[in-house]
Amino acid sequence: MNAPMNPKVTTAQGQACLQDLMRIWFDFERQLGRVPLLRRLTQGRFTLADYRLLLLHLRQQVIEGARWISRGASSFDRDFADVRSRVIGHAREEHRDYEMLEADYVAAGGELATIQQGRRNVGSEALHGFMMHRAGQPNPVDLIGAMWIIEGLGEKMAGDWAQRIDAATGGDGRYTRFMRYHGEHDEAHLETLYALIDRVCTGEAERQAIARTARVVARLYALQLEEVEHG
Amino acid sequence: MSVYITSTGHHLPGAPVDNERIEEVLGQVHGRPSRLKRRILKSNGIRTRHYAIDAEHRTTVSNGEMAALAGRDCLARGYLAPSRIDMLSVATSQGDLVLPGFGSMVQADLDLADVELHTSHGICSSSLMALKAAYTALKAEEHDSALVIASELASRLFKASRYAAAGGGLDFDAEFLRWMLSDGAGALLLERRPRGRCFRIDWIRGFSHADAYPVCMSVGQARGTTKSWQDYPTYAEAEAAGALLLRQDVRLLDNVVKLGVDGLLRLVDQGWLEVARIDHLLCHYSSHYFRGKIFDMLTQAGAAIPEERWYTNLYERGNTGCASLFIMLDEFCRTRPHREGERLLCVVPESGRFNTLYMQLTVVEE
Repeated sequence: MNAPMNPKVTTAQGQACLQDLMRIWFDFERQLGRVPLLRRLTQGRFTLADYRLLLLHLRQQVIEGARWISRGASSFDRDFADVRSRVIGHAREEHRDYEMLEADYVAAGGELATIQQGRRNVGSEALHGFMMHRAGQPNPVDLIGAMWIIEGLGEKMAGDWAQRIDAATGGDGRYTRFMRYHGEHDEAHLETLYALIDRVCTGEAERQAIARTARVVARLYALQLEEVEHG
Repeated sequence: MSVYITSTGHHLPGAPVDNERIEEVLGQVHGRPSRLKRRILKSNGIRTRHYAIDAEHRTTVSNGEMAALAGRDCLARGYLAPSRIDMLSVATSQGDLVLPGFGSMVQADLDLADVELHTSHGICSSSLMALKAAYTALKAEEHDSALVIASELASRLFKASRYAAAGGGLDFDAEFLRWMLSDGAGALLLERRPRGRCFRIDWIRGFSHADAYPVCMSVGQARGTTKSWQDYPTYAEAEAAGALLLRQDVRLLDNVVKLGVDGLLRLVDQGWLEVARIDHLLCHYSSHYFRGKIFDMLTQAGAAIPEERWYTNLYERGNTGCASLFIMLDEFCRTRPHREGERLLCVVPESGRFNTLYMQLTVVEE
């Protein structure tokens, strides 16, 4: 994550929350570093088949992601109308992202029917179940924690993975469009998140809920990537 | 029971070498001036450094001798006769010999009798690992004093002839550190009692993340392989394959910053560290480029230490790997005002395979 020059978060609770989120993110990066598929990527043993496998499994989460964000938006009441607007904006921007992902899959030599018939793996099931549950709670401010992990990952995909994938598989960027596009936009999304932290993290209970959800999402996301090997 | 740093010392070989003269000493690879040099030097901000080799690539002082000179400098400033030293704890990235341990060679050069010996192996963080071994030995009350020395002679790896022997083109990862690292040694004397104005060691903590990250800085494997230099039929073949070049995978370097900040926030969370109480920060960042990144990320986390509290001598003394922090602390002691009760935070992030160590010191008066 690129660090801004000035603190984007100014309240004491917000700062404490951001420290939690940064540490959870760093820990998430270490979890990713232990995922076999990603280890192959950093160690130069990553194949085009690995990439197709990654897209196949990511697609399920990307489609479901649009659903929980939409559901989360509808769970914010009138006191959180401003937050709801931001979350709706976010959902609108991303809810067709999976089409680009499918196009990348085909460009990387996959069959469209295969990815469209793909199923959630064990990790995706758990992540989806947890997110839909949290998004249905009244004023689910802890979704900020989930967005922190998922948007952060978008930036990492663009800044790091896309380049490495192309380098490892001899690609020219033609089939890494989803990752690159997603990353460009997620940087702006992260800016929105900083503002939201100050807005919704107003007490110790909120801080703990945000950190808890971020931690759970990080673990389940990593599990989803581990499960890529198991179909 | 507290442990104190009661004296410091250093040795920087020869006259300072400015940016224009680096290639006069290290030589031009394949007879051509480097195209990367200017860019890397601009980024790291280093203006002068020292080399223990001359322009003919003769070693002017060995790594062991440099360590001993720093040790003697430290003892000469201290209050303890060499014969009273109980333990010698030494760090380097690469000794003059592959075997025995570097500590044995330094002990012989220092003429220290009957000491308990420790050699710590690694890259930048090996200095604080050596210091921690000595600190804990004194804490355990097994010894009353320890001399801790960190020494580096990296320039031997950067001779133009090394790159020529590896043939082919010179890739960025293999050239990068040529413009970063240089030679020197630093030493600290530890005692269980304070002497004059000195430092109490409050704690030393480290977090290593080799399980989660690939190798980032290495000697011993060629680019794109994991084969050890010892797996080639002959050492000549290992060198020809480029397995003996010092390499940095620069794509992974940003992780050093993240993990450095992560560990610091962890220490805050665990109650070891209060950022607002730190009066002086001595951070061994390898390059000016990283100073800004670390500062920005700490600012973002609301854990920034104001820039006027940062101290370094990187730009004048060079990046001497594991020796850097001791050389920094030594110069800080002698040139930077510090008062009783002030706290110093020392940070040594290592990119090798991501190990970061932290130490807090408090200025005390006997």
